[in-house]
Amino acid sequence: MLAVDLMGETIRALNGSMVAYDGQMTFKRQGITGGEGLRGALRRRVAGEGMTLMEVTGHGTVYLAHEAAEVTLIPLQGDTLYVESESLLALDAGLRTGVQFVGLRGMSSGQGLATTKVEGHGMVAILSDGPAVALEVVPGEPLQVDPHAYVAHRGQLQQDFVTDVNWRTVLGQGSGESVQFRYQGHGVVYVQPAERGGGVLEI
Amino acid sequence: MTTPTYNRVSLPSNDNVNPYVFCVDLNGQWFAQKGKMIAYYGQIRFESLSAGPLDALVAANFHSPLYARDWIVAQGQGKLLLADRGFDVNSYDLTDGNLTIRAGNLLAFEPGLDLKQSIIPGFLTLIGTGRFIAASNGPVHFVEPPVRVDPQALLGWADCPSPCHHYDHSYVRGVLGTAGSLLGIRGTSGEEHQFDFTGEGTVLMQSSEVVRDTETVLRDLEGQIGMLGAGGLQRLQHFIAQRLAVERD
Repeated sequence: MLAVDLMGETIRALNGSMVAYDGQMTFKRQGITGGEGLRGALRRRVAGEGMTLMEVTGHGTVYLAHEAAEVTLIPLQGDTLYVESESLLALDAGLRTGVQFVGLRGMSSGQGLATTKVEGHGMVAILSDGPAVALEVVPGEPLQVDPHAYVAHRGQLQQDFVTDVNWRTVLGQGSGESVQFRYQGHGVVYVQPAERGGGVLEI
Repeated sequence: MTTPTYNRVSLPSNDNVNPYVFCVDLNGQWFAQKGKMIAYYGQIRFESLSAGPLDALVAANFHSPLYARDWIVAQGQGKLLLADRGFDVNSYDLTDGNLTIRAGNLLAFEPGLDLKQSIIPGFLTLIGTGRFIAASNGPVHFVEPPVRVDPQALLGWADCPSPCHHYDHSYVRGVLGTAGSLLGIRGTSGEEHQFDFTGEGTVLMQSSEVVRDTETVLRDLEGQIGMLGAGGLQRLQHFIAQRLAVERD
């Protein structure tokens, strides 16, 4: 559950995530372009990275929640956060959102070919199954992550696959951890203490 | 309320990061259940137990063919993060001990411990000295025998004799009736069956009845079918056909 104090400013939040509020609030569903312009909306449609946000404006406190998931706040200072659209709960109105194509990474965690990009200055609230753990990546110290536990990442990170698929994997005797994401560079990766099912790379 | 950011150095060493994530400071080899690794720093490889170079280790510490496919060995150096379905995760130290735990809830253990199958289906026994990591749905409670525990809430037990089944009298009476033996037991409260612990030791319980072990129970039963002869198998087939017919109604 996330409580947001508003004094006249606007935030964007996942459609239907409001569970309570006090004070004066207005909720407005975002138009068809979702604040990303016509081009952005088309990209989102093509990518299948659906995202419905609403604008919340007013004076008072609004309480947001989604399926009892844990909420993690991430302050952005001009850097970029990459997160799955379904893991996004709320963000400051000053932040820009867009679609980033990520290719096979999304496929392997069962979340499609694209991810949502959030840039600018402000606060983002993300959802995770259990409290998210933030893990720092610095040059020379790569981090490997299970695709099913990945939630989001930020900063200047290169992402690639680590695989140790061998003949045992083919025989169904794989280690179960044959495919991992490796992050190198400078940034932070957020992981959750539970593993989603349903990727194509269940080996 | 922002979450702290950890790096390889600041991650706790062999301790909980939060109630749901445990960090193993790996320097050598650990046994781990498949799919419980969420992230790691350093040089760590994951090998299935069938990997040739692991033969000696598996021969020395792993004695459960039934669960061999669920386990892997993590080897190398680094910090390894383990988690399981958002369950509470805790580490326990055994000193020359003997502890039995529900197979699905055991996440990892040090090779100082020997893993064997318990007499009770769906449970594994650890013997020796070392550390292991287990998950529970909600915090773990420690109780002392004599105690009767709901089978689903039972996480494991240490140093005490294996439990026996306890059924309430109304249930026994239901089985004795002809309808009961033919149709299965109906109209019961679901609390007639417990595990009964006696003697000295500790019983570990979780705070809910969420388990995921149909798979392990099934495999246990399959493992025991080998003990039946042709006659026994036929009788079992007949019984299963009868139960299936009842289930379909």
